[in-house]
Amino acid sequence: MNAPANEPPLAGVRVLDFGLLTAGANTSAMLADLGADVLKIESGAYLDPFRVVGKPDNHDGWWNRSPQFRFTNRNKRGLAINLKDKEGQRVIRELAAECDVVVENFRRGVLERAGLGYEDLKIINPRIVYAAISSQGDTGPERMNVSFGSTLDATSGIASLTGYEGEEPRISGMDVNYPDQIVSLFAAGVVITAIMEARRTGEGAFLDFSQREVASFTLGEEILAASVDPHRRQEPVGNREEGIGQQDAFRCRDGRWLAVTLVGGSVPGLESFCAAHDGIQAMAALVDRGVPAALCNDGADLLQDGALVGVTLARDGGGGLVKGLPYRLDGHGVAIERPAPDLGQHTAEVLRTLLGYNDGQISKLAKAGVTSTTPTVSGV
Amino acid sequence: MTDLPLARFTIVEVNDRDVPICLRLATSLAGKIAADLGAVVLKIEPSDGDPVRHAPPFLAPGESALFQFLNTSKLSVAIDLRRDIGRTALARLLDKADVCLFEEPASAASIVRNSPATPIEIAAFPLEMNAASRPVSEFTLMAMGGLLHMVGEPERKPLRLGGHQASYAAGLAAFSGLAAALAAREAGRRAPSVRVSLAEVTQWVNWKATSAAEATGVSPGREGRQSEFQIVPCADGYVAIVYTVTQWQAACELIGDPRLGDARYASRAGRRANVEELYTILRPWFQGKTRLEIQALAQARGVPFGPIFSPAELLDSEQYAARGFLATLHHSKLGKLRLPQLPVQWNGRSFAPRQAPELGA
Repeated sequence: MNAPANEPPLAGVRVLDFGLLTAGANTSAMLADLGADVLKIESGAYLDPFRVVGKPDNHDGWWNRSPQFRFTNRNKRGLAINLKDKEGQRVIRELAAECDVVVENFRRGVLERAGLGYEDLKIINPRIVYAAISSQGDTGPERMNVSFGSTLDATSGIASLTGYEGEEPRISGMDVNYPDQIVSLFAAGVVITAIMEARRTGEGAFLDFSQREVASFTLGEEILAASVDPHRRQEPVGNREEGIGQQDAFRCRDGRWLAVTLVGGSVPGLESFCAAHDGIQAMAALVDRGVPAALCNDGADLLQDGALVGVTLARDGGGGLVKGLPYRLDGHGVAIERPAPDLGQHTAEVLRTLLGYNDGQISKLAKAGVTSTTPTVSGV
Repeated sequence: MTDLPLARFTIVEVNDRDVPICLRLATSLAGKIAADLGAVVLKIEPSDGDPVRHAPPFLAPGESALFQFLNTSKLSVAIDLRRDIGRTALARLLDKADVCLFEEPASAASIVRNSPATPIEIAAFPLEMNAASRPVSEFTLMAMGGLLHMVGEPERKPLRLGGHQASYAAGLAAFSGLAAALAAREAGRRAPSVRVSLAEVTQWVNWKATSAAEATGVSPGREGRQSEFQIVPCADGYVAIVYTVTQWQAACELIGDPRLGDARYASRAGRRANVEELYTILRPWFQGKTRLEIQALAQARGVPFGPIFSPAELLDSEQYAARGFLATLHHSKLGKLRLPQLPVQWNGRSFAPRQAPELGA
């Protein structure tokens, strides 16, 4: 492929993004940050739930002001096309013919019912890489099971190893929803691998991701160890770790918690030492002695520590705080080319430039309610 | 393995001496994913081996499950990078490699950067902290990145998530960066160097903390038994109660206690404010039922309650069996092992991991 040497890795790749919340929408955001043109498809009848759970007020336009939505969907263009409408489905199929990748995390069967499943789109576009991200995967007796964030902490095994020693297991909870976060880190890499294959062979792929499997994969050594020792002890052990002498969080004089790891052996007076010193003093004393120690930060602490934040946060053109990158490229973080789109902000632009629609066709779709810029749902 | 998607690529994974183990776990996970997908991954170990070979959990005395999991499908090359001859040998391997995974601080960094391979560097801290020599552990990085603050009771100590979540999240991120580098190279573009720090990845997965702190001025934190979502005991273990706002009504119908119709429980704010009373009503429904019974009843109504399974119990999961997620690997020394495959099916195909190498093999 001929390409200017300085273009980003995924320049020229176009993504049809049905991704919602974190698992789907963030997978396509990672592709956008690597240079792909991401077209996020919503509809007035079905918004990305992040627009709703993060709504700051009930005033007009609330659906465009959610911080969670803004964090996750920057660097994308946004279209609102009703995929339950036959005409909407036709338009989306035309878009799919111009795209390299589909990312979706609907419940299984939703896009198939709309005539937008992999088998449908493969006929239109044999090179399409179709990433289906679901709770349990596309096959198996539990394929239709629903989950929400920490359901998967529980069913993946992570919760069983999390908690205070001798007490009940713990989940990461709604403010973390840990399993949703890591799936996009993995899925983005596999999608890129499949894009390379599609370029090379002319054939796309159906990529079936189970979020529960991604979470269990992070416990690979525990599953492996249990396969030879079914009686292996697998329960919460607080902050201890096999093979490490002493590891815990200690409350310091100023109330801050200090995390300390002593690889070999243990120090009997550590708890009282921390209690007698402010967090920052105790940390400095331990670090000076070569002991890993760090204060336990919260979100507000992180916002104030630009060096520690690194490239994980960025600002969009309007000054809004948004998600940055989990890695840096050539030493840099992400450039936010555009803020997260308003609902349907780019529908007309994309239909005009990509599909060659004229103003009459575009306004006809809007009048028929196939496209929209406002929610048609009530009770959100 | 020439029909695997990454078969045409060569990746060098440098395991330098004196690198914190938590970085090694990230490097090795990224290399393992690429190797299972078919890349030729050359794991460069010091003459006494990667210390992860001696890290728990163990499969047999001296046989590390951690090492076996993280190094499937790779080749091992023992090279002493303290000697000139070793450094020359590394440079020769890098001449034929597409990318090189290595950790900070690496004695080999300058060799990597002067080679044609694209560098993928794993570090503990962001560049801006200028803290390459600061002592570090996975646990202290979780504290720094804010993830530790999120789990546990508000008045008790914060808790880490089980497993190696900081290292493995970084390993997954490094794999995606690696794939991007390969895609750029194959398209005839200059591939960017990639740098992944565990501190940054931990914050990145914990983004809701900074998002909420910015929006409201207050950081979310561990809510423990004040959370709307609790762990409740049942006949054979525990279940996590989780549901979306729109699933609450279905959850009420499932439990079937008329007291749940009380106006106090109609909103998320109301349920949080009355969480103790709420769980007094919810708990008895779980007591006589098994996890699987609860899951079946809940799923029938579209309620995503999560039965808590241990890794050992997952070996018997019907769903995992039906999808073939857990591979059987017949190890030449250790016999029959079972372990997770890459969590993706590609046109219905799984990627069976091959046995991790002996040192220098």
